[in-house]
Amino acid sequence: MDENVLTQHFGVEGLFRIEVYLGQGGYRAVEKALKQMTPAAVLDEVKRASLRGRGGAGFPAGVKWGFVPQDVPKPRYLCVNADEGEPGTFKDRYLMNHNPHLLLEGTIITSYAVGIHAAFIYVRGEYENVALRLESAIAEAYRDGYLGKNILRTGFDLDVAVHRGAGAYICGEETALLESLEGKRGHPRLKPPFPASIGLFQCPTVINNVETLSNIPFIVQNGADWFIKKGLPKDGGTRIFGVSGMVKKPGIYELPLGTKLRTIIFDHAGGMKDGKQLKAVIPGGMSAPILTADEIDLPMDFDSLAGAGSMLGSAAVIVIDRETSILDVLKAVAKFYSHESCGQCTPCRIGTAWINKIVKRLARGAGEQDDIDSIIRLASNIKGKTLCPLGDAAALPILSICQKFRRELEGYLPHA
Amino acid sequence: MPKIFIDDHAVEAAEGLTLLRAAESAGIHIPHFCYHPAFAPEGSCRMCLVEIEGLPKLELACSTGVKEGLMVRTMSPKVVEARKGVLEFLLAEHPLDCPICDKAGECKLQDYFEEYGLFRSQFKEAKEKREKKFKLSRNLILDRERCILCTRCVRFLNEITKTEDAGILNRGIHSEVGIFESEFIDNNYSGNLAQICPVGAITDSDFRFKTRVWFLESRESICPLCSRGCNIIIDSHPGYPRTLRTQRVYRVRARKNPDVNFHWICDYGRYGYAYLDEGREDKLVWKKGVAETRLSWDKAAQILTEKVRSLVHRRKNSRIGVVLHTNLTNEEFFLTDRLFRKGLGVEKFFLADPPPGKGDEFLLTADRTANRRGLQEVGLPEQDADPKTLSGLDLLFIFGHYLASGTRPADLKNVLEKIETKALFASHKSSLDSLVDFVIPVPVLAEKSGTVTNIDGRVQTLAAGLGFDGDGVSEWRALLDLAKELKVEPKYFWQLASPETVYLALRKEIPFFK
Repeated sequence: MDENVLTQHFGVEGLFRIEVYLGQGGYRAVEKALKQMTPAAVLDEVKRASLRGRGGAGFPAGVKWGFVPQDVPKPRYLCVNADEGEPGTFKDRYLMNHNPHLLLEGTIITSYAVGIHAAFIYVRGEYENVALRLESAIAEAYRDGYLGKNILRTGFDLDVAVHRGAGAYICGEETALLESLEGKRGHPRLKPPFPASIGLFQCPTVINNVETLSNIPFIVQNGADWFIKKGLPKDGGTRIFGVSGMVKKPGIYELPLGTKLRTIIFDHAGGMKDGKQLKAVIPGGMSAPILTADEIDLPMDFDSLAGAGSMLGSAAVIVIDRETSILDVLKAVAKFYSHESCGQCTPCRIGTAWINKIVKRLARGAGEQDDIDSIIRLASNIKGKTLCPLGDAAALPILSICQKFRRELEGYLPHA
Repeated sequence: MPKIFIDDHAVEAAEGLTLLRAAESAGIHIPHFCYHPAFAPEGSCRMCLVEIEGLPKLELACSTGVKEGLMVRTMSPKVVEARKGVLEFLLAEHPLDCPICDKAGECKLQDYFEEYGLFRSQFKEAKEKREKKFKLSRNLILDRERCILCTRCVRFLNEITKTEDAGILNRGIHSEVGIFESEFIDNNYSGNLAQICPVGAITDSDFRFKTRVWFLESRESICPLCSRGCNIIIDSHPGYPRTLRTQRVYRVRARKNPDVNFHWICDYGRYGYAYLDEGREDKLVWKKGVAETRLSWDKAAQILTEKVRSLVHRRKNSRIGVVLHTNLTNEEFFLTDRLFRKGLGVEKFFLADPPPGKGDEFLLTADRTANRRGLQEVGLPEQDADPKTLSGLDLLFIFGHYLASGTRPADLKNVLEKIETKALFASHKSSLDSLVDFVIPVPVLAEKSGTVTNIDGRVQTLAAGLGFDGDGVSEWRALLDLAKELKVEPKYFWQLASPETVYLALRKEIPFFK
């Protein structure tokens, strides 16, 4: 496990306490960044490191920071997206539970690089213990001078607050997150303007995922070249894969970007459970298009998966075995997105509900011959036409399931 | 100005304009539900998606700005398909109760389906059941099954009245427009909600189930109920093929004028249209003692001319008085001034108006007539008509019935009895009718041509929106006829034959109107 970066100290007893974290070399990256580097140098290092966002979209973090205007008189904000809602994804929970100070360290360095003095960690509502752990970590960091005024006597100020969501998937979408943080209904905003210029409280805002920010201290400590060597030239660093489903050892696995899906399932996660055979894999959280058992020799990185018509997303690998009915998978997907659609825009609000109604009818045994075509048509009318990415998140997996497993689905239709 | 191409038409559009507005300026309509020019783009209905060359996805016309050289397609197969998709989604959960929907005939969902939809329904599932008669305010009823969640109503209450009475409750397919429990929307602009609702979700109980919109005639007018001069549309029933009520006017709506009332009118103006049909004077009569004679205006004009002539002949011009009100047009004030003051040397002008009300901070003003500013600019005095000031007259021209409401009936009777001849030009019946010698029905502003000047000094043109028939005469016509009969400045008055020609003279003579 010498490859591990983010999870390297996970076995250390009490890592979530600052004294233990400091004992493992914690907060040295903050010292280095604040005392030896200019904000521009930090930004440059992160840009060179090809760190791509770990939340799902994979946007280069350094480029995102670079969009934040430095010449406006408004304050700038950092929002940590810890609203880990994508089904199958649980990596951020582990990171925050085991190593909350690593996230804080990344938060401090990022804030320093972008000139931010207030950061919010938006934690998924269901993660109560995570929120509590973060809050005690923040209290420790304030006590020891890593947060608050004049951090490490460098003159840099930063306040960090935890905000808990109320359990809506949509609030993981960055602009809905901002609305929610402002105390409003979690409805995505129209883009542009992008949050980098008009974000939280109409001010320039950086929004990064927990895992993305947790990588920052290592980039500062070891440099961009080291980070790229840990992954791929265009996707620096490692990735935490959360494996769930019918495998022997479900859990999180920190591996270099580009590790083959087959290796993840059969070597790291111990292979299929006894007597189970692989049928399909959802490789990047529920919104990623499904892969069949024949497609698992893909390297797990943004571009390879995109090339195969799927996506790396949150790197949550859901393993489905042959005994699992694909209709049940479709039912779960349709139900989830219909339930979580915020209802703001027409195609997603009505389309996901309509598909869910058809799938439920199919499952009742009351399917009709044109139902699968209808689902495909409706999903196509959602795809690319909604206000936020949730529409695609719903349409893409549904389309891929209907297309790749059409024959099995047709088996659920009453015979003519 | 950036030049863009919309469906191969070159369009010059101002920087900062959205594609939707640029297209509109070129006469190309891009269908939309949630977009409203008064609000920031919402982008939620997804109806205005268009194709922009070089971009992989369809883009929103309502929020995408123009940029030099953009090639926009509003009718490409991809766009048409997406539009059909949106309509299919909206109609899937729509009750399709058009036969009993008040919006039918002016519903965007209906219109767009006809224009861009025309598909066969493939929805086999059960529609969501929702509240169909949810009371939003004193007048407004929300049908949640018809609602397409464009949130125009919510945004109106957030952005225009800033009362924030409504919001979206629940999530996904269960989303619905809601208000605070037990707190109705209660502001003077709520009636606009029914008007901006693109479908039949918000209807107005004032109009609900009274008629079908395709029976109505829509005429442009100016609201005379305060001095703002909001631009309105009067929807009236021509009477055929069927009327259930005797009234002509069924509805007043706001007409867009960015310089006066934007897209809105107040509820006071919207719902206060009953006067157009109720209590109207309908007979021109001459009363001698208890005997009443019906006359034509020509005959009445002759008699009145004789009365004036005999007074003028005896150099008793000072015994002629004129009571005015400020719901007359600029032209009528001008003619009054030319005929009575300049022509006949009359000095006694009085004003009798409806009492002022309370203004709000938006459109409604305290002044409850349309043209006080016009009276002031023409230069007629603003002395209030009270019984004391009216004494010592032999002939009194009374314009308007408002004198009856401002004074004690007994006092008024005493004063008027002493005046030999009283001619009343009134649109509405009042207690004055029994105190005067001539009752001459006149049109209200909505039935007249001419101009009025609003509180900000903006001169607005009135076209006769509603017809005025039966006995009676417009005040401007009456004044012109009297002038001609009396041969006051014949050359001058000869050239005046219509409100338009009067306005030309007015513009020439009074600098304000230039």
